[in-house]
Amino acid sequence: MYIYQEKDNLLHKIHPLVLISYCVVLSLFALLFSHPFYLLGLFAAVALVIKAADIFKEWLFYLKLSSALVLMILLINTLFVQLGSTVLLWGPYIPGLGKLRITLEAVLFGLNMGLRFLIIMSAFCLLTFVLHPDRALHLMGRLGNKWVLALTISTRLLPLMVSDFGRIYDVQRCRGVSFNGKSRLKRVKNFLPIFNAMVISSLERAFQLAEALQARGYGVGKRTLYSRELLRPRDYLIFLSVTLAVIAGIWLTWQGAADFTFYPRIQRVYLKEGLLAIFYSLFYIIPAILAWGWQKCRLLKLKI
Amino acid sequence: MSFIEIENLTYYYPNEAQAALDNINLKIEPGEFVLLAGGSGCGKSTLIKALAGLVPEFYGGKIKGDIKIEGCSIAAMPRSELVQKVGIVFQDPESQLVMTNVEQELAFGLENLGLEKYLMKRRVFEASGALSLGSYLCKNTPELSGGLKQKVALASILAMQPEIILLDEPTSQLDPVSGEEILTILRRLNEENGITVILVEQRLERCFHLADRFLIMDKGRIICNTTNPTVFSRWALESGSPFIPPLAKLFVSLGFERVPLTVKEGRAILGSVLEKKKGNLTQSEIKPVPKVSLKEKEPLIEIENLWFVYENGQEALQNINLNIYSGDFTVIMGENAAGKTTLLKNINGLLKPSRGKIKIFSQDADSFRVEELARRVGFLSQNPNDYLFLNTVREEVLFTLKAQGLEDKGKVNDLLNRLKLGASQDKNPRDLSSGERQRVALATVLIADPDVILLDEPTRGLDYQLKKELGEILKELQKEGKSIVVVTHDVEFAAEYAQNIVLMSKGSIIAQGDKRAMLTKSTFYSPQISKLFNNYNDDILTIEEGKEYLRALNIKRKGGIYA
Repeated sequence: MYIYQEKDNLLHKIHPLVLISYCVVLSLFALLFSHPFYLLGLFAAVALVIKAADIFKEWLFYLKLSSALVLMILLINTLFVQLGSTVLLWGPYIPGLGKLRITLEAVLFGLNMGLRFLIIMSAFCLLTFVLHPDRALHLMGRLGNKWVLALTISTRLLPLMVSDFGRIYDVQRCRGVSFNGKSRLKRVKNFLPIFNAMVISSLERAFQLAEALQARGYGVGKRTLYSRELLRPRDYLIFLSVTLAVIAGIWLTWQGAADFTFYPRIQRVYLKEGLLAIFYSLFYIIPAILAWGWQKCRLLKLKI
Repeated sequence: MSFIEIENLTYYYPNEAQAALDNINLKIEPGEFVLLAGGSGCGKSTLIKALAGLVPEFYGGKIKGDIKIEGCSIAAMPRSELVQKVGIVFQDPESQLVMTNVEQELAFGLENLGLEKYLMKRRVFEASGALSLGSYLCKNTPELSGGLKQKVALASILAMQPEIILLDEPTSQLDPVSGEEILTILRRLNEENGITVILVEQRLERCFHLADRFLIMDKGRIICNTTNPTVFSRWALESGSPFIPPLAKLFVSLGFERVPLTVKEGRAILGSVLEKKKGNLTQSEIKPVPKVSLKEKEPLIEIENLWFVYENGQEALQNINLNIYSGDFTVIMGENAAGKTTLLKNINGLLKPSRGKIKIFSQDADSFRVEELARRVGFLSQNPNDYLFLNTVREEVLFTLKAQGLEDKGKVNDLLNRLKLGASQDKNPRDLSSGERQRVALATVLIADPDVILLDEPTRGLDYQLKKELGEILKELQKEGKSIVVVTHDVEFAAEYAQNIVLMSKGSIIAQGDKRAMLTKSTFYSPQISKLFNNYNDDILTIEEGKEYLRALNIKRKGGIYA
């Protein structure tokens, strides 16, 4: 039903609020920071957490999908941003743009943007594969009941609609309808009855579901929320590291330490900036460290 | 004052001129197990929906009269109070589960009532424990079997601790084992917790013994209301009602004084008048069994060493060998996931064999596409709604003709009349009753005049009368030389209409042969009547055979009535 798969590691067991906080903070600072050292640090940290969550394969698939977009960001920057001063290549004359001028600064800026995008995609991947959608939806239930219920029902009905489609498609074939004809228009036309039957069935199901909601007292008064989520020491530890990352991140932004100038010429970089970026990234590695400890150390497993 | 009192209740659905409930008067005592039956569209679902307050609050329409629970009119009762008194479980488990997770589903109604967290935890724990769902609490509902889904639906109602549970054909979409489990749970809830149960059910043989009160409805009226099963059975016999279990029908039609509720009781009555395996007539003495010489004919469908493996590696069919001849009526039975539907789909080409061969009309099935085969091998899938998307019944049937490049030439009219759909041909098929929808779906298959007709669970959700009508149609087709292959869990239907039975388990055929050989002396796959006569006469399968046998024995009656 979901692409989410339950796995036996600490990250799959942390409180949904903590995991969401981690991913939001990570994405937020990936957007705020422009210094490549910090972005590289965040990327490495999230990669370690993903490895610890045992979703590396799934992440690689996400990276593959994202690479096309990264390439596009790189190309657009390289071709359209003419601000850099270190010219790598002169290209042909393009009407409206002038003579094409590819600069080192534009290439690096594009790469930096791509890296930022990959961090955000990784955070999204972490949420998708580590947090059960039901737990996320239920957590959101605190924000507003009606739309969360609508979302939950949609999630539930989607697999039913997929199975409806398969069944009706088979039925149509058994009635002699061909979906492999040469005419594309005819093929599309042959699919219309399937969608028609699906819509009618979905409407009937929606009506029955509404009746069930009524019979179970939906809307009789203020709802309460059933939850069996508990906060454990591991959640506090990760939440603490996230809080520290927020404080340090705000300080770095305030100080301008995580900023980077690309144009007209790339700013110089210093070793201490790299060391500070590594130190800052440690806050984001805490979940991975705890996950490994949880797996390797029995005592830690018992205590957190 | 009775626990539930319905006084002069009349109800019209919006824009309907005919009353769905017509002057209903009914009293139900606390803790009663009420069995409510009747034909499709007779108003039984409307009645329980009225008891749950859904009619008219959810549906609208006009209502007269009153329903009182413990003296309080439900019209004046706040909904929060009513849903804690009356819980309703619907027919289709898929359309009543709201959440994606079992535990959340159980808590959903409690959240609606605004209960405290500690109380919800306790109720969820109790309801899941009562229905043995503890180990499924963390599961996703879509991953559960139909039986488990219905159990979850029931548990979610139980968690709200209602005093009355209403069930609208809760087992109609389930296999017999899951259905039996639901009924056992209901009996336990009724006996151990004193919960009043009102059960709408079509297959009375499964729940006749559970009931304290029997209600039959017709055209919105209660036409039979009794607490005595013998009175009920006599009424059914005299009025020609099809709503009577086979066991009761046999005994009451022979004039026995007492009608048994279970096979056990029936055998005790028989035991007092018959001796086991002594002086009994055999079936051949009553009516010779027609012998079918299969080898003389060329099979229409020849299946040799058929294997089918799904993409996930599951071997759904293992080394199947089966021949289907012209004029055969074969019923395939077996547990869930035995491979029955997969076998049908291999025959009609929807699935291609992984190994082995299927020959259709002496040609390799691989050489046909599904659409090509459709003219000669008709397939009726489980859900008739999947066939219905056009505005009229006639258009639906014409659609198949057009898709297969055939001409009407009056065939549509003939077929619709034959299937008693002539009067409904201009109606929207989705507005028809379940039995009529089933017949429309069947018409879309039969219009191509196929030689082989495959039917997957065609009796699901049909009442006795509709099942009988379907059986008769299939029998006629068989007489015309068509081969009928039916997948069903319905042993009574198989006993009445089948010629051959194929039993499947875990992808293999474990036994096949004549129905008499297959359905007698079986613990599970035998009809009530066969179980009744087990060891008295092992050849008896149907009520008529049972009657004939007992009459032939010429048991003496006392004053015209059997002892």
